[in-house]
Formats: sequence, C-alpha cells, structure tokens
Amino acid sequence: MIEVKNLHPLEIKLLRYAQMNKDINSSDLIKELNYNIGQCNQTFSWLSAKNFITEISRIIKISYELTESGLFQAEYGMPVLRLFNLLNEKNNLSLPEISDILNLDNSDVGSAYGTLAKYKIISMTSDHKAYIVNQNLPEEILNLQKLLVRAKEKSIIDDEDLDQKEKDLIKSIAKKRSAGNSPFKVIEREIITYRLTELGFKAKEEIIRQNITGEEIGVLTPELLSSGKWKNASFRAYGLNAPVSRLITGRPNPYADYIRWVKDKLVSLGFEEFDGPLVENEFWNGDALFMPQFHSARDIHDVYYVKEPSHCKEIEEPYLSNVARTHENGGETGSRGWNYSFDHEFTKRQVLRSQGTVLSAHKLTNAKSPGKYFGVVRCFRYDQVDAVHGADFYQTEGIVIGKDVNLKNLLGLLKMFAEEIAGAEEVKYVPGYFPFTEPSIEVHIKHPKLGWFELGGSGIFRPEVTKPLGIEDPVLAWGLGIDRMALMHLGLNDLRELFTNDIESVRTRRGNNAKN
Amino acid sequence: MPKIETSEKLFFKLLGKEFTDSELENIFPYAKAELDGHENGTIKIELNDTNRPDLWSAVGLSRLIKNYFSQRIKKYSFFSDKNHSADDEGREIVIGKNAKNVRAYSCGFVADGKTVDEDILKTLIQSQEKLCFNFGRKRRTVAMGIYKNKLINFPVHYDGVDPDKTHFVPLHMDEDLTLREICEKHEKGREYGYIVKDKPFFPFLFDSNNQALSFPPVINSSNVGEVEIGDKNLFLEVSGPNLKDILLCANIMACDMSDLGFKIHPVTVIFDEETEFGKKITVPYYFQDNITCPVDLVYKTLGEKLSLTQIKTALKKMGLESDINKGIINISCPPYRNDFLHAVDVVEDIMIGCDLNSFEPVIPKDFTVGRLSYVENLNRKIKDIMIGMSFQEMIFNYLGSLKEYVHNMNTNDDKTVLIANPMSENYAVVRPSVLPSLLKSEASSLSAVYPHRIYETGKIVLKDDLDNSGTKTINSLGILVSDRAVGFNDINSMVNNLMYLLNYKYELNELDNDTRFIIGRCAKVVINGVCVGVFGEIHPQVLENFGCTMPTVCAEFNLDLLPKII
Repeated sequence: MIEVKNLHPLEIKLLRYAQMNKDINSSDLIKELNYNIGQCNQTFSWLSAKNFITEISRIIKISYELTESGLFQAEYGMPVLRLFNLLNEKNNLSLPEISDILNLDNSDVGSAYGTLAKYKIISMTSDHKAYIVNQNLPEEILNLQKLLVRAKEKSIIDDEDLDQKEKDLIKSIAKKRSAGNSPFKVIEREIITYRLTELGFKAKEEIIRQNITGEEIGVLTPELLSSGKWKNASFRAYGLNAPVSRLITGRPNPYADYIRWVKDKLVSLGFEEFDGPLVENEFWNGDALFMPQFHSARDIHDVYYVKEPSHCKEIEEPYLSNVARTHENGGETGSRGWNYSFDHEFTKRQVLRSQGTVLSAHKLTNAKSPGKYFGVVRCFRYDQVDAVHGADFYQTEGIVIGKDVNLKNLLGLLKMFAEEIAGAEEVKYVPGYFPFTEPSIEVHIKHPKLGWFELGGSGIFRPEVTKPLGIEDPVLAWGLGIDRMALMHLGLNDLRELFTNDIESVRTRRGNNAKN
Repeated sequence: MPKIETSEKLFFKLLGKEFTDSELENIFPYAKAELDGHENGTIKIELNDTNRPDLWSAVGLSRLIKNYFSQRIKKYSFFSDKNHSADDEGREIVIGKNAKNVRAYSCGFVADGKTVDEDILKTLIQSQEKLCFNFGRKRRTVAMGIYKNKLINFPVHYDGVDPDKTHFVPLHMDEDLTLREICEKHEKGREYGYIVKDKPFFPFLFDSNNQALSFPPVINSSNVGEVEIGDKNLFLEVSGPNLKDILLCANIMACDMSDLGFKIHPVTVIFDEETEFGKKITVPYYFQDNITCPVDLVYKTLGEKLSLTQIKTALKKMGLESDINKGIINISCPPYRNDFLHAVDVVEDIMIGCDLNSFEPVIPKDFTVGRLSYVENLNRKIKDIMIGMSFQEMIFNYLGSLKEYVHNMNTNDDKTVLIANPMSENYAVVRPSVLPSLLKSEASSLSAVYPHRIYETGKIVLKDDLDNSGTKTINSLGILVSDRAVGFNDINSMVNNLMYLLNYKYELNELDNDTRFIIGRCAKVVINGVCVGVFGEIHPQVLENFGCTMPTVCAEFNLDLLPKII
C-alpha cells in the first residue's frame, strides 16, 4: 500500500485534480486550485521526488510586464503623446518650458522631441521654440500606446497574445534587466508540463479510497477549540522525519557540572567543603607546609607574585613563631628542622595560591577532630600555557583528622576515592615524595578507559606541619587529579578547552554521559 | 624532580644482573624512582625524592635496590669521624682567612685505581650536575670540581682573593682572565657569577705552586680542571656556605666512586677557625647523628603491630642498620644520607621496607557529616534560576591581560591586582570583575546562534586596604545577554526575577560615573542600603573594544554582600 497519510495538503489537492495521461502545469493549478507560483513549484518538486509525477516537457514562455514608468505612461500617455498634445494646445514652447509644464526630465523631453522631429511631426523655430508641422502621428506611436493600455489591466501581456507586428514593436522597446525608463520588462518563464506516473495514479486512488481531501486541519487553534469546529474536522498527520528546528536552552557548563558531581561525591563520603582567598602569602603557601624557604618549588619561576601590595601586613600568631622555630630547629615538633635562619620578611610576600594544600593548612587552625574536609579550588602556576598546563586550574584536596587515623586508613580512603570517584578497576599504591607529608603515597589506578594512571598524591602530614598549627592528632592529606577524568568525561584532550570562551562549543558539549 | 640517564651496561653491571623494563618499573618505587624511558642502551630515570640526593645517580640507585633484595649493607672503610681520622698521607686543603667572607667551606678527596671510561665520565659529570644544580640550589650551596690529581701539588689552598688581581685560563677558553673578567666573559661566569659578584673577595682554589685549580662556584682552570677518558687519578673538591651540605656531597661522591671501583684517599681540611666538627676535618667524614624512633610511633602511624624483626628487616632492606632497645629504634644513618629530620622519616623507610602494598586498606571509622560551603549552595540556587531563564553557564580562567580586564572595560586599574612576574602579558592580571570574561566570550562567539545568554559564578579579586592582604577575593555573579534587540528593560526583568526567586527586596538607584555602561541606562541594586550589584546596557565603546557586534546588557553581583539566605 502506498503511504499517503503524510502528504502535504498541496500534494493531495494536486493528486486529486490530476488525471491519468493529462498534462499538468502551473497555470492550470493557479487557475483551478488557486495555488500561487511558489506553491506550484514546491508541490511539483515534492511529488517528483516521490516519483508520483514525471516531467513531460519544458518550454520558455515570454511575457512583458509593465514597469513603474510603463504604468504611468499607460495612464497618462507616453512622453511623445503628451508633448504632441501640449503643442496642439499651445504652440511655440521652448524645451525647458515643456519640461516644466509636463513635469518631465529634460532628457525625456529631448528624446520625445527627437522622435517626433524624426517623423517630421514637429519642428523648431529659430529662437528654439517647438511647433507642430504635421498632425498625423505615425502608426507605431499610436499602436504602442494601445499596447500600454492593453497591458494595464493585468500589468502584464503574454507574447503569445500578440500578433507579429505587435511583437516586433514591443521587442523594440522592452528590456530584460534594469528596465528603468523602458515601459516594458521582458519576463522569461519556464513552463514545465508534468503527468501522473503509475505510482502517482495509485496514490491518487489511495487518497480517494481513504477519503483524504487536503482540507484536514494543520494547526489546532484556540478558535477551532472555542468554536467547536474541531468536532467535524479531521487532523492532518505529520511526517516524523522532517528536520527539527534548533532549540537554544539554558544549560549547566559541563565542566562545572563535573566538579559539582565530584563535590557531591565527597560530601556523600562525609567531607565538609572549605574555600579561601586567591591571594595568599608565602607563609601559608609554603612555610606552614614545612617547605623550606629555599625550596626549589618556591622560586620566582614557579609562583606568581602579587605586584601591589607585595607583602601582607602581618602573619597570625602564634602560628608565625611556631612555624619559624620549626623551620629553624624543629621547635616543639621533635624535628631537627631545616637548620637555616627563617626570613620574616619573605614569609609575608604575597603570591597567588599555587597549591590547594594551602587551604588544608588554613583549615588546620580551626578543624575539629574527628573531621573530614575538602576543597575544589583554583590554583595558579608559573607555566607556559598549553594543552596540559593552564595559567589557572582546579585542584581537589582534603584532609582527614582523627585520634587514631593511620596509613591503613589513608590507603582505605584512597581506595574509596579510586572506586567511587574514578571508577577504578584496580588500585596500586606507590611511595611518593611531598615536602609536607611523611609517609607520602601516590595512588595509581587502572581506569576502564584510560588504563593505568596516577590518580593523586597523599600522605600523613608531617608533625612539622600539624603541631605548629595546634593539631596534635594525625592528619591524612590527599589531593586528586580530576582534570584528566574530566577531559575523558567531556570527550576533550586539551585542558584549555575546559575554560573555553566559545559559547557554541559549551552549548553543544556532551562528552560521555557516564560519569566515569 | 631530578632526571638522570645511565647506560644500561653500567647500570646492570652495578646491579649485578639484567632487568626487564617491567621488572624495573616494579622495583623503582622502593627508591621513589620512575622509569622514564629505555632505548638504544640508555635508561632514563626520574627521581621523586628531593631529599635523597644519594639516589640521583645510577650508582646510588643500584646500591639501594641491591640492598633491598640482598639485605646486605655495604660498608665503606675510608670514613673518618669525630673519634677517628683516616690517614691522609699528607694531603691537605688549607682554608684561608678570607674564605668565610665569600663561601666559607671547601673539602675534597682523591680517588685512583680505576681508569675513567665513557660511562664513568658521563656518570661523574651527571652526579656533579645534579648535586650542584638540584641539591646545591644551582651552585649557590654546592659547587663541585673534579681535577687531574697528578698535576696537583698538595697542600691545596682555598681562600677569598682579589677578583681583579687573580687570573687564570678558564676551561673552554684560551685567554688568561681575572676572576671578574671570567664573570663577564665566560659562559659559566655569566650564568653563576651572580652568586659571588657583590662580594669583596672571590673564592679561589689553587695548589702549593700557585697553580689555579678553579674559581668556585663558576669554572675550573683549563690546565687541571678537565677530566678525560683514560684519566685514573682524580681530585674531587666541593665548596659551599654550609659545611654539612658539602660534606654530604663529598660522602655521596666518595661512595659512588668506590662502588665504581676507585680507591678513595682522604684529604684533611684545615680551617682558619673552629667549625662544628673541629678545626681539622679529614674527608670523607661521617658527620651524621644517630637517629631514634619510638616503636609506638611506627605502630600508630602504620596502623600495624609489626614484630621487631619485621621492623629491623624492613630497615635493613632500606640500607639502615638498627637495634631496638626498650621500645626505641636506634639507627645509624648511612654516610651518604642526611634526610632524617624527624622520627616519621624512619617510619616511612619501614613502610617502604615492608612493601606498601602489603598494608591492608581500612576505611576510617570516624563518622563525620558532609557539607557544602555556603557559597557553593548559593551558587547552585543561582544556577537553577539562571538556567530556568535560558542562560548557558560558563566557567572562565581567572588570569588575563590588562587590556581585556581594564582597558577594554573603559575603567582604570586602581583596584586591580597585578602580577609582579607575569610569564606573558596575556596572563598578567587577576580579574577584577566577571564582566570582561563574559564580554571576551561574547566577542569570540559571534557566529553562535543568537540570542547569547551566558553567566558565571566565580571569584574576582580587588584591592582592599582593610584586609590584611590589602586585597579581597569576592564571590561574584556575572550575567550577559547579547542579541539583535536587547536593552535595559530585558536585564531589568531578569534581575527582578532573580531577586524575587532568591527572596530579596531591593531598590534601584542611579549609577553615576560607571563608564562601562551607557549613562542613564544602568542601575545599582541596593539591599538594606548596601549596593550588591550593578546592571545596564554596555557602552558601545566597550563593545567596540572587545569586538562585540550586538547590543549587550550585563549585570554583576557581589554574592558575599547578599544577606545570607540558606
């Protein structure tokens, strides 16, 4: 059976109208079905594509359309006639005077005079005044005016309605493009003739069998509802595979969404979120973490310094004294310290936070035990920006404080992160090195898509970090590299893309739907 | 992190057997090392422990690995200590009285009995580089020279000298230059001269014939300061401002060279004044203190009641001899290590010696309540409302250029925090507002289907005299709408809806002198007399500056000033 339910009303009406072995063309449809030319072409194209009709022939049809100037001349006469009539009323006028009276351009008057002078109808006195010498206007001029009047009714006149004389006449003045001053514009139209195919005929029979008229309702309007007209109407079925129009919707940023998911995970594991300022000082950014002031990672080529104010006003006590002593000789921490003279000016120098652990150190000053804390925080590094380095980026960090927390708990915690956040299949622990933890551990995981990679670093904070900040209980510290998973999750491979300016790319970004 | 390269031939010879790459990958973690590559007979290794310079060579690394598997700790017989000095056979370094004013200490030893081949030469040069650059902070605290010993007449002298009167022909040059000229003309002088440049005296090492050995920490002399393949009698000297640092480096080099087959001959340093180890020190010198660690700390930290034998075995694998007495572990530190700052450092060695992966992961048992920060909760509330108004959430970098963040905005940088040492002018400023981020985004999205509705909640930084840091980090909400026809009324409606849904009563006040907006088409949002935000039509000059082609309206709120709602 031929599918006819989804045909457009224009197609249905044409099929109902068309007869087997009879020509169909646009002028028939315009006359009989009241289509406009655009609807004709659209319907022919749809039905041809479905192979319901086929092209029989195409011919070029020429018509002459009145231009704006032609319409005016049909109403008020051609310039030559107006000039002739004026001179019949009042002889002996100069061309400028004529141009004034008739409200015509000098050039139009000039060419009208030229035409009449050529036929010896008018002439010019020695003082440049035009006068009539012969009252018999030539046939061409009169015929042309008749053609103008005849065309006026439909604004157009078909070539096939003209006799040979008229054809020659109109061809001599009509122009194809930029008709401008010419009264007629030549229009060439291709008339294509179609006939029903066998398939088309079957479709027509099916339409009649199903009693589809093409008058079915397209859009259900409030008026149809309120008038109750819908009760007697049938509804046109719509095609399912027509192209859909694009919607611009509000949407979370996919990277922000991923971070949100990580935060929710950590909260579900009992962690409380911390946050802090972007501008830090050397004290919190390094000293409090027991990184010696001469540590290579604290070089001018690793950290961004704040230009102004270059130093903070003060460092909170007793933390400053405790930390300074710890660096110098271990203070009360049981450490022998770094054995150098702590620089109290350097410690106040302001930097942009270079590691998330800074906020863990801050948190130690007011943390509860037992307590679990985390932050997903923006950090800044003095790095050449490329696919794997950003000028600023997120670090995910946290701590666990408890009277009896130990290495095995740290491993347990890392395993939990690996499974819950990274969806790891296997977990491996490797001894690591961080200046602020001892022992230090890296956790490597086997990810279902990425294979083995380092998920994060962790350790137990050194007593040199915790004791000066007033914490006696052990503190597990951890950091996770989530960007690699975020990139995989979002289907990207360049860190810069996470912070893209490109609205379209954010709007359309989907990545993988599964979180891990 | 130091990275080293070694020929596999030398490395496997030192290890006593050949290893596959996957075997190396499995054993390197005991030394916090990673296999970085292995091709054409060369093994590349990355060392992660910045406190273990003894591991930064194929020799030191293989020493630890061999220990780990054999539990046999190699003893070195050439060390002196505070109770005993080895025979120096008359070799001395005499430190002059001016040395303390520029670079106080120098020490060294002689090594012979082995012919330098290509692998050994590369290893020695690499160790020298790593120790001086990474451990010695780019030669500031450690500089090392290796010399042809047969050309040297002891005693060797080390002193601070007049940089304009002392001269010699430096390595890789033909010209006789003064020390000051070397700082200006020699490549190494330009690189390292700054360390001593402002001192009244420059360090100088020379022998009893007044023959120049070197100008530490800059360059050796051309005559005796170049070791070549075929040499078999070497003098190694280390200088620096901290005695322990240079003694440690000398010890590491002596142990390494001994492992390579050299015989080590001590040299006595005679100082001008008393040092913490006396006025005369015979080098290599064992200066380390004994280390203790309570067994209880091991139990508490590792969460495992290891037996005393397990502890001793683990330490032995890590190259540490120990005995345990009344709950205290006593360890004698190897001469090439000085990284035990605290008893927890011992605990870590025990952990590695026991094999980290043998510890069972246990979830912490304490119950704690998880909680998001206030601002995260607020951001989420705002996100729901903004997305409901068809906004696309954006997330931008916080660093940008002065042009984008300040000049394009028609504002000045009075309150903007600038970076003192920017790497590039594109990342030289911390953003003082979210609006330039949004406008930059709009300008780079001209071909995206309009309307553009974007927003971000993020941080900005402004100067603030009242704060200890003189700056304030602010949680900010920025909103932008760009379209063919958009104006004040549109953003006004959006602000109104946002405030309504967040349940704030507010009033609008006129916003004067804000050149970012069109005058008369912008407003302040005021809650309880506090201005919490601004909005309006962006000034065409600003749009032109950014290259935006559509009318644009923006709003920005200081979220920290909104009364708390949750």
